[in-house]
Amino acid sequence: MTGELIYEVKNVSKRYGSVVALDGASLKLHAGEVIGLVGDNGAGKSTLVKVLSGAHKPDGGQIFLDGVERSWESPRDALESGVETLYQDSGLAPHLTVSENVFLGREKYKKGILGWFGFLAKKTMEAEAQEDLEKVGIAFPSANRPVSQLSGGQRQAVAIGRAVSWARKVIILDEPTNHLGARQAGEVLQIIRAAKAKGLGVIFISHTLPHVLEVTDRIVVLRLGRIVKDSPTKDYNNDTLLGTITGTIQTIKVEGD
Amino acid sequence: MTDSKLTSQGAPSGFNWKPLVTNQSTILVAVILLLAGVFSAGSYGSFWDVSVFNNILTDWGLIVLLAVGQTFVVISGGIDLSVGSTVSLSGVVAGVVMVNWMHLDLNVKNEAAIGPLLIALLVCIATGVAVGLLNAFLVNVVGIVPFIATLATLGGGAGLAIIWSGGMPLQGPNFYGLVNPIKIGEISLSPISFAVLVVAVVVTIAGLFLAKARFGLYTYAIGSNSFAAKAAGINVKRHLTWVYVVSGALSGIAGMYAYTRLGSGSPSSGAGLELQAIAAVVIGGTSLMGGSGKMLGTILGAFLLYEVQSGLLMVGMDPNWKQVIVAIMIAGAVGIQGFSFGQRRK
Ligand SMILES: Nc1ncnc2c1ncn2[C@@H]1O[C@H](COP(=O)(O)OP(=O)(O)OP(=O)(O)O)[C@@H](O)[C@H]1O
Ligand SMILES: [Mg+2]
Repeated sequence: MTGELIYEVKNVSKRYGSVVALDGASLKLHAGEVIGLVGDNGAGKSTLVKVLSGAHKPDGGQIFLDGVERSWESPRDALESGVETLYQDSGLAPHLTVSENVFLGREKYKKGILGWFGFLAKKTMEAEAQEDLEKVGIAFPSANRPVSQLSGGQRQAVAIGRAVSWARKVIILDEPTNHLGARQAGEVLQIIRAAKAKGLGVIFISHTLPHVLEVTDRIVVLRLGRIVKDSPTKDYNNDTLLGTITGTIQTIKVEGD
Repeated sequence: MTDSKLTSQGAPSGFNWKPLVTNQSTILVAVILLLAGVFSAGSYGSFWDVSVFNNILTDWGLIVLLAVGQTFVVISGGIDLSVGSTVSLSGVVAGVVMVNWMHLDLNVKNEAAIGPLLIALLVCIATGVAVGLLNAFLVNVVGIVPFIATLATLGGGAGLAIIWSGGMPLQGPNFYGLVNPIKIGEISLSPISFAVLVVAVVVTIAGLFLAKARFGLYTYAIGSNSFAAKAAGINVKRHLTWVYVVSGALSGIAGMYAYTRLGSGSPSSGAGLELQAIAAVVIGGTSLMGGSGKMLGTILGAFLLYEVQSGLLMVGMDPNWKQVIVAIMIAGAVGIQGFSFGQRRK
């Protein structure tokens, strides 16, 4: 069902001052595979996301894309390699319009000399952004409205739409169902399935365990910056997953310390 | 989809008056016209005297050049306090180059001065770019907040301007015709001068780049949410470097503008102008929090600022009150912004 190994991190760690946010985490993602990344608040999930997306440089460890070791100097490097990320809260610029956000960093330019000077093909981008968002289908706010005027759920839809429409290899979704109603959250799960069907590798982060159990192939549990369990989804049920997250169920790695 | 349509339309029927009233530029134009009416009533007709108006426009041009650069900086979430001292410094450096190095004096006049003045313009721009690069270095590499970084270059620039000029204006080649109204035969096109035309061209180009090009989009994006900008693949530090360099270069051009008016590089020609430039920007509706603002607003803001100052002088106000008036207008503009921001957040 899942294809070859596309994205891998080995032993990455990241400190913020004295806080050890990630402590030797390793992860393998295959084409057409959905990994659930779970853990308590502050476990280090978003930190791992930022390392994977190139937003933060890890203090140690290695990153491999398609078997080649990479070192992301900036998110641009990861984006250009087909790794697309939805960040937990701060991924959109509120003053920009929906279409400006969708195309930010990948603008389309007017033809000819104006384009050479960086003049933007605004109408084209608005039309395409509208199409992209309608394909995503969660809620389609009109593409020329500033993001600051959207509801939380509409913003989330824009962020998801952007990530989904640009991803070519890997898509990382940090709590994409935040701010969404039950129906819209269901649509996000549908989007994840569609991405998987297209052969993308997906990393899905959520605190809603039934969603994680429903849509993933593997579940990786983080606790205090360490990966304490990494097993196929069928090895978990709601209770054992919760126990592993909170630590009431001891895992082999932790006992081994 | 129907939901978002309903909410975006707001009022169920009739004329949609909201965009008109909340549009900052509309309000500014209204205030400008109103004040013009007040000042020209009560027999202060001299407000519209052509030579007075020309002076206003010439003064205004200098501030507009600084305010245009400042608009980019403020939208990007920063501030550039060094613009005033860069005017002085670049004018002085141009004076040093022409007077001390090229040994030209004030007898090089009019058409004969064009060559040296062009060199002076390049020197001014280079000086401004150097200050901009230094600001960007302090902000991006050393990691000092823009307010303090540019406060430091403000002090340093003002000091160097005094040291290199010996504290006195350096009188050199001059061509006052560039700042006087253009004449076609006997007809004066007052208040339009060559210098004012240059400012108009600069403003138009800058306004287009801000509103329609990638340069402007990235400036808004960084000021709005610099993490999002970086996450979208924008090289934030490189863009901010450009923003400070643009502000520095425009300050250099403003330095040349001041030199042309005075016929000398004066170490005090830009003193206090940063306050005026920032005032024009915030009166024009640009948020000091970054992320929003318009070039048209800045131009109108600068005009309003000058109208008030000149109008009050004309009705007999002590000129020393000028700074106080500017300060009050800044506080007022920021206060109004804060108020409407608070409203929006609800
Ligand atoms: N920019 C930062 N500066 C300092 N500490 C940080 C920073 N970002 C995260 N941390 C710390 O690193 C640890 C891991 O945070 P992280 O955001 O990765 O957690 P998370 O698993 O995503 O939590 P949540 O479920 O609440 O989103 C926390 O202790 C947090 O306080
Ligand atoms: Mg998180």
